[in-house]
Amino acid sequence: MSSLTAVDAANAAEAFQTRPRRLTPWRNPWRRPWFLSSITWLYIIWSLVPVAVAVQFSFNAGRSRSFWQGFSFRWYWQDPYSSLVSDKSLQLALRNSLVLGILTVLVSVPIGVLLALGLTRWRSKASAVSNGISLVPLVTPEIVLGSALFLVFTTLFTRIPLGMQAMLLGHVTFSISFILVIVRSRLLSIGPEYEMAARDLGATSIQALRTILVPLLMPAIVASAAITFAGSLDDFVVSSFLYGNAQAITVPIKLYSAARAAPTPALNALATVLLIGSTLALLVAYLVLRGRRKGGSEQALSALASFE
Amino acid sequence: MTFHPKARRSPGQGLDRRGFLRGTLALSAGAVGLTSLAACGNGDGTPTFDTGAIANAPYPLARPNRPVKQPITSDNQPIADGLPPEKGGTFRMLNYADYINPAFVKAFEEKYGVQVQLTPFNNYDEMLAKLNQHNVYFDIVFPGPSVLGKMVYGKLLQPLNHTYLPHFKNVYPSYYSPWYDVDAQYTIPYTVYTTGIGYRRDRVDQVPENGYDLLWDPQFKGSAYILDDRGEAIGMSLLRNHITTDINTGNPDYVNQATNSLIELINLVNVKVGIQDYVFIPSGQATVHQAWSGDMLGALQYLPNGTSSSVLGYWAPDKDFVVGSDVISIPFSSKKPVLAHLLMDELMSPDGALTNFKWTGYQPPVQSITPEGLIQDGLIPENLTTAVIKSEDFARGLVFYEVSPAIDKLWQNAWSKFQAG
Amino acid sequence: MTQSKGGTGLAEAEPTPEQRPTLARDKKDPTFDRSTRRLWPILAAPGTIWLIVLFVVPFYGIFAVAFGQVDFLFNTPIPAWNPLHWQFTLFGEVLHASVDGPFSGVWRRTFGYVFVSLVVCVAVGYPVAYYVARLAGRRRGLLLALILAPWWINYITRMLGWMTILDEKHGYLNSFLEHLGVIDQGVNWLGGYPGVVVLGLVYGYLPFFIVPLYASLDRIDQRLLEASRDLGVGAARTFWHITLPLSRMGLITALVITALPMAGDYYTNQLLSGSPKTNMIGNTIYYYLAQGPQKNVGACLVIQLSLVLLVFMAYYLLLTQRASKEAGR
Repeated sequence: MSSLTAVDAANAAEAFQTRPRRLTPWRNPWRRPWFLSSITWLYIIWSLVPVAVAVQFSFNAGRSRSFWQGFSFRWYWQDPYSSLVSDKSLQLALRNSLVLGILTVLVSVPIGVLLALGLTRWRSKASAVSNGISLVPLVTPEIVLGSALFLVFTTLFTRIPLGMQAMLLGHVTFSISFILVIVRSRLLSIGPEYEMAARDLGATSIQALRTILVPLLMPAIVASAAITFAGSLDDFVVSSFLYGNAQAITVPIKLYSAARAAPTPALNALATVLLIGSTLALLVAYLVLRGRRKGGSEQALSALASFE
Repeated sequence: MTFHPKARRSPGQGLDRRGFLRGTLALSAGAVGLTSLAACGNGDGTPTFDTGAIANAPYPLARPNRPVKQPITSDNQPIADGLPPEKGGTFRMLNYADYINPAFVKAFEEKYGVQVQLTPFNNYDEMLAKLNQHNVYFDIVFPGPSVLGKMVYGKLLQPLNHTYLPHFKNVYPSYYSPWYDVDAQYTIPYTVYTTGIGYRRDRVDQVPENGYDLLWDPQFKGSAYILDDRGEAIGMSLLRNHITTDINTGNPDYVNQATNSLIELINLVNVKVGIQDYVFIPSGQATVHQAWSGDMLGALQYLPNGTSSSVLGYWAPDKDFVVGSDVISIPFSSKKPVLAHLLMDELMSPDGALTNFKWTGYQPPVQSITPEGLIQDGLIPENLTTAVIKSEDFARGLVFYEVSPAIDKLWQNAWSKFQAG
Repeated sequence: MTQSKGGTGLAEAEPTPEQRPTLARDKKDPTFDRSTRRLWPILAAPGTIWLIVLFVVPFYGIFAVAFGQVDFLFNTPIPAWNPLHWQFTLFGEVLHASVDGPFSGVWRRTFGYVFVSLVVCVAVGYPVAYYVARLAGRRRGLLLALILAPWWINYITRMLGWMTILDEKHGYLNSFLEHLGVIDQGVNWLGGYPGVVVLGLVYGYLPFFIVPLYASLDRIDQRLLEASRDLGVGAARTFWHITLPLSRMGLITALVITALPMAGDYYTNQLLSGSPKTNMIGNTIYYYLAQGPQKNVGACLVIQLSLVLLVFMAYYLLLTQRASKEAGR
């Protein structure tokens, strides 16, 4: 055995660990993180370029969706047969999507907010069950939810025809869980103190809710409304099971079926218009959120991104 | 030596409880085993799910040599004579996409003040699924002879009132009383066509004698398509491989062989499935595409600028080729049956039929439109004369007719096996 | 003798517990009050009832259809709502076909695609989330907005863009590669290639992956990392021993949120490939269920998919329950 003792070994190790090092680029913990930064920017470019391309070709003068033949508004209003203005089926799809989105928000946000309020404060075994039921739609693949609703509307709830009504019910169903998660995380971070203070000052529970808690929750409510609207506009799977016939076609379904058939750039035009619609909705939500508190832009985005 | 307690029981003393349980278990295990064996069905595992498909249909199955007069029941009578056309609202059409001239439809809309709305389907499975939905109605539908008996039996269609169809006498006389619908009670004929292979003449050097082999040619990898129609696809495979000329066969082995040959295509040429041959061949996205003859003529108007019509080619065999016809019917739930009759009538008038043909490319079986006349008038380019059907072809061609639900299920499962890749 | 607080000497300064008015703060929990205890279930009732009627019942409906009968004529399902009438023969056959028979290939392919896609998602998404959450500085708001953008841009629109870029004759990718001299003539990217489908899946679902990961990375206290560096731990080991475990919850959420819908996806491969070669189990389910040949077979497949995913769903739900219990006090 060598004469190296355990103490010597430990000393040597420590000396090695703490040996003086030059602040080389890869050891400097405060260096600019150029590697991660470039990955992130590359990702963002990769993520958004296809969207830019899709928008670009909506202005294509030619009929092709991949061969640029010049700039024109042909597919928006000039083409006599297939443009957005002349092709009634495209307008119908757009109208259906927007109506469905708005109705979904109007129905699901109140239900979801109430559910969040109730579940956060309710303490009993039944609430755990309710909690579980409310979270399962989040992790259910859409094809399962879509097929389940389709089967049930065609066999059990046959008084509800497939179409706008069925789609509304389906959209609200998966939206409730999203709203629950967003509002609840905000509720938990608010904490019970404000309510308790209000109760101390003599308010009943309902008054406390109405005058204190709901205004405090406004950012989360607005965020969840925006996300619900965007989610409903974007929904494809549940809608494709429940739309029934051409009267209730929505934009994603129209885009999908036309993209596989004989697509013209009018599809891109439709997609662009939808994009503008959801961007406006998000922008409104963002401004509302930002306006409510100073320096709230990041908080607004965080509210929109909040996910537990 | 004491006997083991179990050994003391001599056989034949009667079942005790344990023996009974064991026996039941064995029986059920055997039953499950048997059903699993039944599930395997065919040796190479085409799924043959036992969903109660019956071998004999309770409705008559028409054959070209065994015509059937579809029943008209007392609770499903044609509409009364002399009713005025319904005005306003939406007129709901259930049809293939791009299978009727939009200009024709627009003229119809303006004449009767309705808005026509088309719900498309890709194949008859989808059509039947849509027609069977509760609370969803359609005013006119474009089915085919191979599903007619089932639809009549399931009360999906209403009988026609021929007083609204004065132009019916324009159709080929052989269609006054077709074999699938004697006396034309439920249908009028819409189009006739053959099924073959459409291809790009500028990319295909030589068409082999068995033209179906074009699809199996590895040099067209990534640009080969077959029709999204299980009957047409499996039928073509039956013919290409000379398995049988009975394209309605219920023989599981034949169907399996045909399906396996189609499955070869998946890796051989990355085959894709679709019915947009009239778009993909002109655009060049497809080099070879199983196609209906009408689609190749309809493809003429999808040619991009600068591409000449000479690039389009169509091959169908001289003998043992597939012919088909599509029909128009009125659904039982139709809310505008008079308008439906009027639409059908216009499609059989000489002008209406020609207008529609010029856009869809599918020949209507009306007397005013003859194949020779079409060629003479220059409506058919020379390289596509193979896509025109002459009336004598009809007697010679192979036809898809209606099969029993059990055979239908066999083909459905075979197709799902193909689609599973 | 009553204790007096603060030594003022006044005997009545501190009332006895019985005499004190019931202040809410004393109970530490505003829900303790009996009159409000009934309020919360009432608030939660509409949502719960809605979800029971339109989620739990339809889910049960799948079982009823899968274990029920079909009308022989049009294969419309005749569901068996009474569990005593359930028949499992069909389910057994479909299971057999999935494990041993024609569907086994599709299942394997689906799991393969999902697995590879998740690996790529972690490889790309974690660095991006980490950077945006911790290192982005002033640009964070902008970056966050750009990362969130795909959430509201229609999924099909994003795929339409790819179909344009990947087009064989005129697509930008082929033009770019030809320009560089890498290839001679256009590659048919949309001709049925698994790689393209995986790319499409990754592209489609990465935004869903990044966001929960971002949220949990955001919450890690910077001081913990600084402390670790102060103690001499290198960057890599800090990451491995501190950051990664702290972000574990977010990573698992991200994986679950991404993998579950991806497993049921059927439209990405139809848009980017269209060949049966790349068909996933979602396509098979859609064929049987929505196109209509045998809806009860479709229902059986849906149940099988749910069972497979159930393991992951249950694990995730347990973790969230535990985490929210810890956080909810």
